[in-house]
Amino acid sequence: MSDRGKSGWKRFAEWVNGDSVARDPTTQYVMNRRPVRAHAPQEFHEERERLRLKKFLGLYPLAASFLCLTLITILFVTVLCIPPFGQPGNPTNNEVSRHYLEYTEQETGATNAVTGMILSYRGFDTLGESCVLFLAVSSVMMLLQRDRNNTDQRTLHRLRREDAIERTHPDNILRKSAKLLSPFILLFALYVLFNGETSPGGGFSGGAILGGGLILYSAAYGPEQLSRLLSRSLYDGVRIMGLMAYALTYGIFIFAGANGITVEMEWMMTVIDLAVGLVVACTIYGFYTMFQRGKL
Amino acid sequence: MLEAISQNRFAVVAVILFGIGLLNMMLQQNLLKKVIGFSIMDSAVFLLLASLGYIEGHGAPIVEEGNVNASLYINPIPSGLVLTGIVVSISVTAFSLALIQRIYRHYGTIELTELLERAKKEED
Repeated sequence: MSDRGKSGWKRFAEWVNGDSVARDPTTQYVMNRRPVRAHAPQEFHEERERLRLKKFLGLYPLAASFLCLTLITILFVTVLCIPPFGQPGNPTNNEVSRHYLEYTEQETGATNAVTGMILSYRGFDTLGESCVLFLAVSSVMMLLQRDRNNTDQRTLHRLRREDAIERTHPDNILRKSAKLLSPFILLFALYVLFNGETSPGGGFSGGAILGGGLILYSAAYGPEQLSRLLSRSLYDGVRIMGLMAYALTYGIFIFAGANGITVEMEWMMTVIDLAVGLVVACTIYGFYTMFQRGKL
Repeated sequence: MLEAISQNRFAVVAVILFGIGLLNMMLQQNLLKKVIGFSIMDSAVFLLLASLGYIEGHGAPIVEEGNVNASLYINPIPSGLVLTGIVVSISVTAFSLALIQRIYRHYGTIELTELLERAKKEED
């Protein structure tokens, strides 16, 4: 071989790659020969592929049912062995939950233990949840937003016709009830949002109610009416500001806690609650409007 | 055995729901029905978690000011975990529905076998 000067690594790489050109004519002939399979007609391949698919589809339900039944049996046997429902001595009710119940009010200023727990002790978890919601609504927007690339003339025509029908034949029952109910729903949402630490509720439930109110208004009066109040840029701004306010406040919370600085907890919990609520409301409204119209 | 079932009735129902959801997800050919099966599985998990945190005779974990007695309230941790689960399930459901809508727009069907055939035809 003529690669005396090459390094060991290069020689090794060449050895792994093999010869691209055969050294003797017999090997070259064998290498150049077309595989036998390629001579068979195209129909033969298709037929074989179809048979294989058919066999797979015939076998698949049986295998899937078997797997499911096995799993359910295992789960069922496990369920029969777990401690009985609703007893105070169960292993799930350990000192962690006792600590949360006894010290939540003192350490976070919230009397609702669930809200106090998810916003302070498990705040990173909730921050992750908010990020999941943010990413979900972003990806749904990416998939469903109507722009030049994914909308044809027919869809546009259909949308325009639906709008015209809605404008000429408004749904009176829906409109009247929405007019009556929307203010109260929004007020109740704000109540649940700001009162989450001291009563049942909190950011997620309040945000869901807020989003529901927006959806009702949008369904009754049409998306144009609402998009005048809540434009695309405002929507994006609220969404991003909510997430950033959460991250910032929780950062301060952790920094202060780690350095032994005492800070007023109450307003912090309220800010985090509000941030989570805004993110959730934007997510729910975004899902609705994306699936309904494909634009905000 | 009957006693064990009645003692853990919520867990048993959760297992049955989980099985229904899983079978639906694996055997249905329609993508939309697969997503419905997924949602049923989610509900089963939420039911199991919520029932794990309940303690008979205890109240909701909203602590009275000044009077902190942990043996009056239910366990707050599973409630928080259910919240996480609900958020993830909503996000995944919405994302898969959006994908299904795009698939329908492109191929004109959401039946899995037809979809595979059409995708293959397009590939050739």
